[in-house]
Amino acid sequence: MRRSPPLRLPIAVLWPVLAVLVAARAATAPALTAEQRRLNVESFDYVWSAIRDHHWDPKLGGVDWDAARNELRPKVEQAGTMTEARAAMNDMISRLHQTHFGIVPAEVYEDIGPRPGAGREESGEGTVGIDVRVIGGNALVTSVEHGSPAQAGDVHPGWQIVRIDGAALEPVLRKVAETYKNSTMQGLMLSRAVTSKLDGKAGEKVRIEFLDGQDKTVSVEIAREQPRGARVQFGYLPVRYVWIESHRLGGNIGYIRFNFFLDPARLMAAFADGVKSCADCRGMIIDLRGNPGGIGVMAMGMAGWFLDHAGQELGTMYTREAPLKFVVNPRLETFGKPLAILVDSNSASTSEIFAEGMKDLHRARIFGTRTAGAALPSVFERLPNGDGFQYAIANYISEGGKPLEGVGVTPDVEAPLSREALLAGRDPVIDAAADWLRQTKEAQ
Amino acid sequence: MGVRAPAAAPAPPKAETILDQYVEATGGRAAYKKVHNEITTGTMEFVGKGLKAALTSYKAEGGKSYNLAEIPGVGKIEQGTDGEVAWERSALQGPRIKQGEERAAALREAAFNADWRDLFKKAELAGEEDVDGTACYKVILTPNEGRPETRYYDKKTHLLVKASKIVKTAMGEIPAEIAVSEYKAVNGILSATKVRQVAIGQEFLITISSIEYNAGLPGNRFDLPDDVKALLEKSNGAGKAATSK
Repeated sequence: MRRSPPLRLPIAVLWPVLAVLVAARAATAPALTAEQRRLNVESFDYVWSAIRDHHWDPKLGGVDWDAARNELRPKVEQAGTMTEARAAMNDMISRLHQTHFGIVPAEVYEDIGPRPGAGREESGEGTVGIDVRVIGGNALVTSVEHGSPAQAGDVHPGWQIVRIDGAALEPVLRKVAETYKNSTMQGLMLSRAVTSKLDGKAGEKVRIEFLDGQDKTVSVEIAREQPRGARVQFGYLPVRYVWIESHRLGGNIGYIRFNFFLDPARLMAAFADGVKSCADCRGMIIDLRGNPGGIGVMAMGMAGWFLDHAGQELGTMYTREAPLKFVVNPRLETFGKPLAILVDSNSASTSEIFAEGMKDLHRARIFGTRTAGAALPSVFERLPNGDGFQYAIANYISEGGKPLEGVGVTPDVEAPLSREALLAGRDPVIDAAADWLRQTKEAQ
Repeated sequence: MGVRAPAAAPAPPKAETILDQYVEATGGRAAYKKVHNEITTGTMEFVGKGLKAALTSYKAEGGKSYNLAEIPGVGKIEQGTDGEVAWERSALQGPRIKQGEERAAALREAAFNADWRDLFKKAELAGEEDVDGTACYKVILTPNEGRPETRYYDKKTHLLVKASKIVKTAMGEIPAEIAVSEYKAVNGILSATKVRQVAIGQEFLITISSIEYNAGLPGNRFDLPDDVKALLEKSNGAGKAATSK
């Protein structure tokens, strides 16, 4: 008789779970107690050990990790504020020169969810409802969410943001552009530099100075509201608001867009509905612009709707212990028509894994601009001092043999946004993809 | 005067003996034969990651099993066997039929009250080893299909203490270490209620909260889900088409 406890390895599919960029918020800096100092040192030691033990490259790319510890631990011991302590930890982490490593201030994890009975405007984390890209050095509104405070304030795509709460953006953008001038993440960091100032507490107002379509100055005071989407908490990942939309474009083209690879129970069902309802479409567009990623395995699951042969892979993640292949599991009925995937500088991580993988498998054509090049599978933990700690546990190489980290996905068709197009109400990226789908033989 | 030679150390037991001793230590064949199905509930914590899944497992004679993990923020992950087909389905990836070594391992895990001799073609004693302060016999078991796995049995209590294996998954082979402890008796059968698994640097802690034997199970508990059936029909149809060419 054989009697064994549940020895089956659980949830191997969950292992490459997170690949998400986190926008750390500025923290206030009161003086630390002795206990806080002790916890900060303990946290530093944990960060140092975790990276030493779990980085996929035991040599950490040649970084002298012992020297980093010797230099920076005293700074944490002597830090008088959380800002100083975090700076020392981030200094150590930054020596790896890799994405998906970072400290998330504990304040981000404070309960910022909606109060029972609260409306969107009173819920905690707030946004004005615009998306921003820095194009040609200028912060441009690239979209205005329907029903958002920005729409109510009569803001339009193509408007340039000049000041936020009285502070000029230009010096900030110049500094960020210079800091990231050799990085694939420049575009992402530039837009974040703007959105981090636009976002804040729901209910609070922000004054934004724009140049409108005639380059006339327009100043608008907008009250932030809870972001659109379902509030999602996954482990120690900071709360995210996740949405998905799908509809048909002119010419019988399906269109699906979602903002994170999270909340799979809901998102995958909605994605499936979007694909299945478009069985008679001539082609499909999946819009991953601005999508910073999420659960890596969801890329495999979504790819399964478009690939009908078993055994195909999007790529491989290389941990220290073992390589894990992003194997696609074909669905019962797949969508066989042409597929276009839209990406831009703010598409990162799982978005890049999905786009490059489908490109490598010759299953999709990629439109837009180069992605962020930030695609390392990572995990989130909490440190003894309450801060979050994200660290990458694997490298990722696409099926075509290309590392995505620091490289990004290069579109097949370069289709940048322009202020002119935005002011005219056009989306050149969607237009390029739709034109291709209308013309390609397989779609007819 | 002569000097008496020291008594020779007793010969170590054979691997088969160690495995049979484990069966006896955990209840014995007579107790096992009275059990025809099992329902286990518990939790699985992704240690340090702020995630804890609810686990429910059903097993029955004939190699039938159904395992459900419900993970906050992810949804359900289901796995099952009906004695022949091993499957998995989730919100993440949809339905999947397991093949090859992965299938063989799933059927092996689901084999209820099976004799180890039916599942493993070889058992070898590979020496003794200390596992966290417990003196253990190290036994290497080679399954009928798949990679050998190593098990460590407490020399005194004969209970399983640890296992090491390479787990074949759809994503690749994953080395795993599994430590079991806190054995508790239900209906005269001892089962470990704490299982600590480490794979790819991540620790999972499974805590069993209840074990029920000979429960009244709905007749369709182990039926293949409709989408798994459809997938099977599709792959069988493809197989027939390939062979008929």
